[in-house]
Amino acid sequence: MRNSFIRILILALIIAGLGILSIYSSTYQKEGAWQDIHQRQILWVVIGLVCFFVMSQVNYRKLWDANYLIYGVALFFLFLVFALGIIRLGAQRWLRFAWFNFQPSEFAKLAVIIFMARYFSRKSVDDISLLSGKFGIFRGIILPFVFVAVPMFLIIEQPDLGSGLMLLLVFVCLLYLTNVRLKYISTLIFVLIVPLPFFWHFLRDYQKQRLLVFLNPNIDPLGAGYTVIQSRIAIGSGGLFGRGWLSGTQSQLYFLPESHTDFIFATFSEQWGFLGSSLLLLMYYLIIRQGFIIAQRTQDSFGRLLAYGISLLLALQVFINIAMNMGLAPVVGLPLPLMSYGGSSILVTFIALGILVNIDRTRSVF
Amino acid sequence: MERKIILKFLIILMFITLFIGLSNLDLLQGSKFRRLSDSNCIRLISQSGARGNILDRNGDIIVESRISYDVMILPQELDQLERILGGLARILGVEPKELKAVFRKNYFSSSLPVTVASNIDLKKAILLGEYKLEEPSIIIQPNPLRHYPYASLACHVVGYVNEIDRWRLTKLEDYGYKTKDIVGFGGVEEKYDYYLRQEEGGLSVEVNHRGKFMRVLGFELPRNGKDVQLTLDLKIQKIAEESLSSKKGSVILMDPQSGEILAMASYPNFNPSVFVNKRTRLIAGLFNNPGSPLINRAISSSYPPASIFKLAVASAALELKKINLSTSFLCRGSTMVGSRRFSCWDVHGVQDIIAAIAHSCDIFFYKTGLLLGAQNIHDYALKLGLGRSAGFELPYETSGFIPSPLWRKINKFQNWYDGDTANLSIGQGDCLVTPLQAANMTAVFANGGYLPSPYIIKSVGDMELSARKKKMYRVPFKKSTFEVVRRGMRAVVSDSKGTGNVLSGLNVSVAGKTGTAQVSRGSTHAWFIGFFPYDKPRFVICVFLENGGPGHAASVVAKQIIEAMNKQGLI
Repeated sequence: MRNSFIRILILALIIAGLGILSIYSSTYQKEGAWQDIHQRQILWVVIGLVCFFVMSQVNYRKLWDANYLIYGVALFFLFLVFALGIIRLGAQRWLRFAWFNFQPSEFAKLAVIIFMARYFSRKSVDDISLLSGKFGIFRGIILPFVFVAVPMFLIIEQPDLGSGLMLLLVFVCLLYLTNVRLKYISTLIFVLIVPLPFFWHFLRDYQKQRLLVFLNPNIDPLGAGYTVIQSRIAIGSGGLFGRGWLSGTQSQLYFLPESHTDFIFATFSEQWGFLGSSLLLLMYYLIIRQGFIIAQRTQDSFGRLLAYGISLLLALQVFINIAMNMGLAPVVGLPLPLMSYGGSSILVTFIALGILVNIDRTRSVF
Repeated sequence: MERKIILKFLIILMFITLFIGLSNLDLLQGSKFRRLSDSNCIRLISQSGARGNILDRNGDIIVESRISYDVMILPQELDQLERILGGLARILGVEPKELKAVFRKNYFSSSLPVTVASNIDLKKAILLGEYKLEEPSIIIQPNPLRHYPYASLACHVVGYVNEIDRWRLTKLEDYGYKTKDIVGFGGVEEKYDYYLRQEEGGLSVEVNHRGKFMRVLGFELPRNGKDVQLTLDLKIQKIAEESLSSKKGSVILMDPQSGEILAMASYPNFNPSVFVNKRTRLIAGLFNNPGSPLINRAISSSYPPASIFKLAVASAALELKKINLSTSFLCRGSTMVGSRRFSCWDVHGVQDIIAAIAHSCDIFFYKTGLLLGAQNIHDYALKLGLGRSAGFELPYETSGFIPSPLWRKINKFQNWYDGDTANLSIGQGDCLVTPLQAANMTAVFANGGYLPSPYIIKSVGDMELSARKKKMYRVPFKKSTFEVVRRGMRAVVSDSKGTGNVLSGLNVSVAGKTGTAQVSRGSTHAWFIGFFPYDKPRFVICVFLENGGPGHAASVVAKQIIEAMNKQGLI
């Protein structure tokens, strides 16, 4: 039982540690405020660990009771960001607190997963079978989609297309794992895909640019395609063994933008090469696999769905971020969980892992 | 539950995709991306060494390389650039706007340093060296430039340097030549370019994404080219060129005992420094000039030899025993060959071989030539080095031409007539020789029977070449043949009516032969070939004046040269 706790903790710590090394290597030569950025990341990881321990002790069933509150708080912060964005006439993804920036969209991802897990694991009063098996199209698809669509819309409006689509993806995957009929799910997917060409017109210019650049980075090598080209160069130049820590020219001479946040995988890969990157992929896979194992052996359907949701969230973020680093996916602003610089992402990921551990610990009680 | 397993497979598939993507980038395309990464952040700044000097036989410099300084900067962001250019402008004393314009003009790619000022003097270079401590993106590039202390002196021997052209590049690419390389054109510069050429060294530096200098990665010292020492004697060369003074033609002085060229002048000439300064208008003028100043007339163009060819005819006749010392012909001013009347330039009366050479009597040689036959004349001329390339080191030597009946039959489908033989006997007709061949033939008579192979390179670097270059080919004539011709040549000068009598007043005993070549258009070409001192010849001289009038004019130039050499104690 303690097994999953130790495993997840060790894997998360190693990955976060590598993240701190990479952040240090890409910023230590910059002047001014950049100097202590890795120290801030260490602080976030420490706070994240505290949250991890706390969440692993708190019974996850309490989240069932608090799910409306959590969902409401997440919506409130998203509205706040939305409102401030209108007032300040510009992109707004953060809320500025005393000494850090809080990114509500990270929090919202977890909140939606908790909300959905509860929604689909309610039981009817008379027998103990799950309600979701009897859901029609309205209660099975339309209503939950509205609950997801509201935060999703707010996030996409920030604008943060990546996190918004992430919510949608996790939602669809969760639907798939519940008893909701496959017919309904495919209807939803069909309805979502058909108007896609129409949505093209609603995308912002830079988003269109990024999608075009994804198809061919060389159409704009010094503009929108620059990041992808440089990131591919960074990863590829690592070769088998990498260029060594603190010896990556791409990230340290600033050819690679966002080398400590969204493109931290390229920074890491340049310095540690194919072997290091493969190990990193393996560690991510092991964490996610652990999540799936926990989900599978949990009898409680709320806990099971929650564990699946958290593992899926992790898996999709890792996949999309690394694929985008390699030029296999369009550039969307998604951090690499546990590695990218950023307090909100680190904190939410550790909290999610804490919940995961707690599900495993509590499972025997039922 | 089916759905769980499918989802699990999807996750595994995602990670396999990532792994394949990683292998593709790192393992399959790794070296390509490594190269791209390097070209992102590594800039090569080449530094050239100095091209080798060209020296005369005494080690005096004819052409050298002087250092001039170029200022280059690494391209970077605009605000940085403005600051740097502003600083540079202050030190160089020019308007920042001008520098900016130059920068924009020379900008080629963000990965190459841009030259913003060239040829700045040492003092400014030192000042800039201090400014460089503040702005490491500035590069001060020592740049060796060809310097010609004597301007156009020996320009045809030396040649000039210029940016490599397409033709040479395709030919020399495999030997490490690159576009924009400075290579030699013509003369020693071209022929010995491989030795004179410097080896490029350079600096590799690391820059950041804004092109700002970060650190030096490596440095390789450039290597200077090797010096080339010529057999030319600067003093004699100067005398030769001064005496030729603005007359079209060529002067050659050669050592008959070794074949060393002591002086080789050609006019019209050019100043090689116009190619260094890139004075486009002057360069275009050189190429368009109808006088073809870039052509080395001593080796690259051939002319009818006229009377100097009589030496070859005389030796052939003596050798084949067609005539001997007591043979004489009567010159009445003209003679009939077949049905055509061939005239002499004067009426000489009875002439033996010595007198005929001295007076350059045409009648004597018409008759001698007819006795010999054209094929014999052709063969003996070739034995004396005419009509074939002398194997000289400088590029663009022509081989001249001696006609023969067979050649005419094959190439022109015409018969050879006695009239043609008569014409050939006095060096007219299709006969062509270069001044170098004329001098080479003279050397055979001067040294008594050895055909030198003329050379001009004494040593390259530390390698002494004289011994290897000196090749004297025995000409298998009887000793008496040379003796008779020598006496004739001496009589040209010593005889009171000799065509070269103007040279008799000198302290040095000169022997020689004049020539007046008729040309289809314009004034005659003037020839004088000779050697001195008569008893122990140390110099062979060949003066050729293109459309310079009668042979006498060439003798006058020869006299000036020998007089000046005598005065400077060079003999």
